[in-house]
Amino acid sequence: MLKMTHLSKVYRTEVVETYALRDFNIDVKEGEFVAVTGPSGSGKTTFLTIAGLLETFSGGEYHLDGIEVSNLNDNARSKIRNEKIGFIFQAFNLIPDLNVFDNIEVPLRYRGMKAAERKQRIMESLERVGLASRAKHYPAELSGGQQQRVAIARALAGSPRLLLADEPTGNLDTQMARSVLELLEDIHREGATIVMVTHDPELAARAQRNVHIIDGQVVELSEDPRFHPAQVAAGEVRG
Amino acid sequence: MFAYYFQLGLRSLRRNPALTALMVMAIGFGVAASMITWSVFRAVSGDPIPGKSGQLYTVLVDNRGPQYNDKGEPPEALTYTDATALVAARKAAHQTLLFEVAPSVLPEGNQSLPFIAHGYATNTDFFGMFEVPFEFGGAWRASDDEGRAAVVVISHALNQQLFNGADSVGREITLDRHSYRIVGVTAHWDPKPRFYDLFSGNAFGDPVQVYLPFARAVDVEMDTAGRNNCGSNVDFGSGRDAWLHGECVWVPMWVELADQPAANAYRDFLTHYAAEQQRAGRFHWAPNVRLRDVNNWLDYKQVVPPESRISLMVALGFFVICLVNTIGLLLAKFMRRAAEIGVRRALGAPRGEIYRQFLIEAATVGLAGGVLGLLLTALGMFGVGLLFEPQIARLAHLDASLVAMTLLVAVVATVLAAFYPTWRAAKVQPAWQLKSN
Amino acid sequence: MQIKPILAAMRHHKAGTVLIALQIALTLAIVCNALFIIQQRIERMARPSGVDETNLFVIRSDWADKSDPQRIDAQMRADLIALRQLGSVQDAAPINSFPLLGSGWDNFIKLQPDQVKMTTDSAIFFSDEHALATLGTRLIAGRNFTASEAGAQQPRDAMHAAQVIISKDLAHRLYPDGSALGKTIYVTMGRTPSTVIGITDTLQAHMTGSWAGPYAYNAVLVPAQLLNDYTYYLVRARPGQLDAAMRDAPKALFAQSRMRIIDHKDGVMTFAQVRQRAYGPDRGMAILMAIISAVLLAITAAGIVGLTSFWVGQRRKQIGVRRALGATRRDILNYFLTENLLIGIGGVMVGAVLAIGINVWMVSQFEMARLSLAYVAAGVVALLVLGQGAVLAPALRASHVSPVEATRSV
Repeated sequence: MLKMTHLSKVYRTEVVETYALRDFNIDVKEGEFVAVTGPSGSGKTTFLTIAGLLETFSGGEYHLDGIEVSNLNDNARSKIRNEKIGFIFQAFNLIPDLNVFDNIEVPLRYRGMKAAERKQRIMESLERVGLASRAKHYPAELSGGQQQRVAIARALAGSPRLLLADEPTGNLDTQMARSVLELLEDIHREGATIVMVTHDPELAARAQRNVHIIDGQVVELSEDPRFHPAQVAAGEVRG
Repeated sequence: MFAYYFQLGLRSLRRNPALTALMVMAIGFGVAASMITWSVFRAVSGDPIPGKSGQLYTVLVDNRGPQYNDKGEPPEALTYTDATALVAARKAAHQTLLFEVAPSVLPEGNQSLPFIAHGYATNTDFFGMFEVPFEFGGAWRASDDEGRAAVVVISHALNQQLFNGADSVGREITLDRHSYRIVGVTAHWDPKPRFYDLFSGNAFGDPVQVYLPFARAVDVEMDTAGRNNCGSNVDFGSGRDAWLHGECVWVPMWVELADQPAANAYRDFLTHYAAEQQRAGRFHWAPNVRLRDVNNWLDYKQVVPPESRISLMVALGFFVICLVNTIGLLLAKFMRRAAEIGVRRALGAPRGEIYRQFLIEAATVGLAGGVLGLLLTALGMFGVGLLFEPQIARLAHLDASLVAMTLLVAVVATVLAAFYPTWRAAKVQPAWQLKSN
Repeated sequence: MQIKPILAAMRHHKAGTVLIALQIALTLAIVCNALFIIQQRIERMARPSGVDETNLFVIRSDWADKSDPQRIDAQMRADLIALRQLGSVQDAAPINSFPLLGSGWDNFIKLQPDQVKMTTDSAIFFSDEHALATLGTRLIAGRNFTASEAGAQQPRDAMHAAQVIISKDLAHRLYPDGSALGKTIYVTMGRTPSTVIGITDTLQAHMTGSWAGPYAYNAVLVPAQLLNDYTYYLVRARPGQLDAAMRDAPKALFAQSRMRIIDHKDGVMTFAQVRQRAYGPDRGMAILMAIISAVLLAITAAGIVGLTSFWVGQRRKQIGVRRALGATRRDILNYFLTENLLIGIGGVMVGAVLAIGINVWMVSQFEMARLSLAYVAAGVVALLVLGQGAVLAPALRASHVSPVEATRSV
């Protein structure tokens, strides 16, 4: 589903050249729920932006759903983001001017969907996250947890092949965080591929598989029973 | 998608009311100032006889010579001698000559007061050459010119005043104590600028009310009510006859020539005529003649008042500044929404869609500015009277084309102004914008 | 205040900086020229006519029957006697045209009969011995016409101009040494000489066009009433009786004869109306330029407020950091004021060049005068002050940003 081989990302300024990712390899299979962990500045967000085609990379290969994306132009990349990827942001990133319904509609509009189908999908995904009654509300009128559910509904409405989540519970209290996580697990059970970046060891533990990034490289795959992800993540937090 | 973006645009207008009001006012004022001055400019600079302006030429012959003429140019009309001789020669398809008259009209019945009617003494070719439309009757005949007949053509307005708009052909009116038989009533006809009589400075004068045969007017010693230019150092003697046959110019003359060869042939004829005058001892200089078509003549006479040009240019400069202002404000408005753009891009909006969204949003700003501009333009139409002489001010009016133009200019200009801010908006990377704030 | 960090920040906001500078530059260029046009027009409008404007009015009488010249002559003399007998009227005179009318009769004036090029151009006013008393124009040298010198003539007759009175400016133009009185000049376009018997104080010609600028105060009074299809009567009311005189005079004329036409709209005009008509376009131009300048300055100021507010909004965090690091409110305020001043200086430098460029172009197109540098200087100061004023509100808002902003991450 998502396969990066020898991928590198270099940020160049006039004086220095910084490797954000170096010889980065990862392979996420269809239907997996992968948690990506790592210390601040390790490159996990860079990985996610590249995975989500929000940024280009400097070297190596990236196959998404079987397509080599490095040579795609902006329009093609936009199309893939729109059709195959759902984003869940830490800060929800709802558009404040638009109500819940209109926010979820944004990606469907870009797909050129007919109004009737848009409406059906929006209502379905709102029901999925339990917020069908809030369609006419504006983001500012919702709690953080509700906003994140709307964001998830927006990500789901387009039936993406891949869900990318960046600290999806980072701005939520424990109670809300738990319910959002349960929602993600439900979605995963229904067959979605999910890649989630997180600091939270508890959260990472709920994933099927953990990937740890340090200094722009994948250092360990947590399928190794001797290396429990929760410990690694917890250690990182403590250290 | 257009409707969607239009709706987003309207919503965005409401979001920063102060910024929006500022932009709408800038565009509104800018477009209104431009449109008000433009409406005057277009009225004074238009082609008064489109389709035919290239075939009508005014005829000029230098009867003063290099010492006395104005920087080598012949005077701006002909002497009676030259005009009558050239018209009599009939070397063009049509030829006419004219001078302004202002006879008094004595209406029938004792209760009405006499009044002055403005008009021209001319010949029958005038009406065909200048495409004068008729309501009743028509032009007099060539034989009436030769026979110096007491006939007259009156305007729709004068016919209204004297005969309540009835068909007055065949009836008599009294001009300066002489009786004239009406042969035609024109429909409304008032080309602006009045190209055929720029000599007297009548480019934007009151509408013409009467036309009577040139020869007849000369016979009854009707004096020109227009300009009379005797140049310099011309001892024309004393009395009307000396003046009439002297070297003062006061008769504009026009010929109709279908094409360039005809114009060239006529110029040759004119040169030949002047050469003959030289041989006869009247001119002591080589032939110096001009044939100027309508647009050339309008240019030469600088009919467009400098006020009109200056105010149009200042208004356009003003509009440009308003647009620069709009560029800045749109930039601020769009970049404030960098986060939204990042999200939209992440959700799959290609650059093209961002362009479309923001240009359409700009167009809604432009449209709002255009509507304000329209109101201000309508208001400004009352103020035009302050700026220009009444006869020019009355030419400016708000018609359908000006309304359309106001809105179109506002929208197009704003969209153009929005290109740079939109380009900047479309450059926003799809990213987790809100996270990093 | 350190300029370097400001310049660095401006490089970062290139587009906004350039847009504000450009707007200031264009505004300066247009406002300078607009103010200059206003000043020129006002100067023109303030020119003296040399006549007693408060008590003067004019009547245009067209002859309805276009009768023969002898009858017109007799009618005019009868009309004038009737007008002069009115209690509200101080004096009256016939005239073919008058100062500021716009249309009239002008001749080339020469000093020698065989002179090829004219010495100057001048208005020709045909009137009688009452002209000066009616206009309220003083003689500064020589004498007035006598009743016996005042004659009558038709337009195409040789000019009845053996004796003429000329205006001070014409006299000076012809004889700069001041010796015009008693000299022979040629005002008839022919070879008949005229003797200057009197010189008036300032007297304006009928011509108002810009072409006539050099001749605007050249006038020749000819002692003959012009027997034309119409005549003007200049009437000077007794002080305070203008309204009464304007009511009485047309009645008195119609009592003399009904075979005349006095237009109900502009047949009778006060001199104030004459002046208003003559300078209408000038006044309009001045008003338009004033409106445009005012709106332009307002829009430019508003634009500066808008863009600076946006910058302040964008830099809240940065400002918070500065505050946390010890910058005072005053420092923050100064930062934005200095930034605006730098942009303003850049703008006005370009604008001054543009202003002069536009003026040079207008001079070549519209017979306009050279823009005085004082205007550019005044405009530069005005725009810099305007910029500082406009930036004050957003800069004050910036100075009130709390140091806490530095710690806010989202």
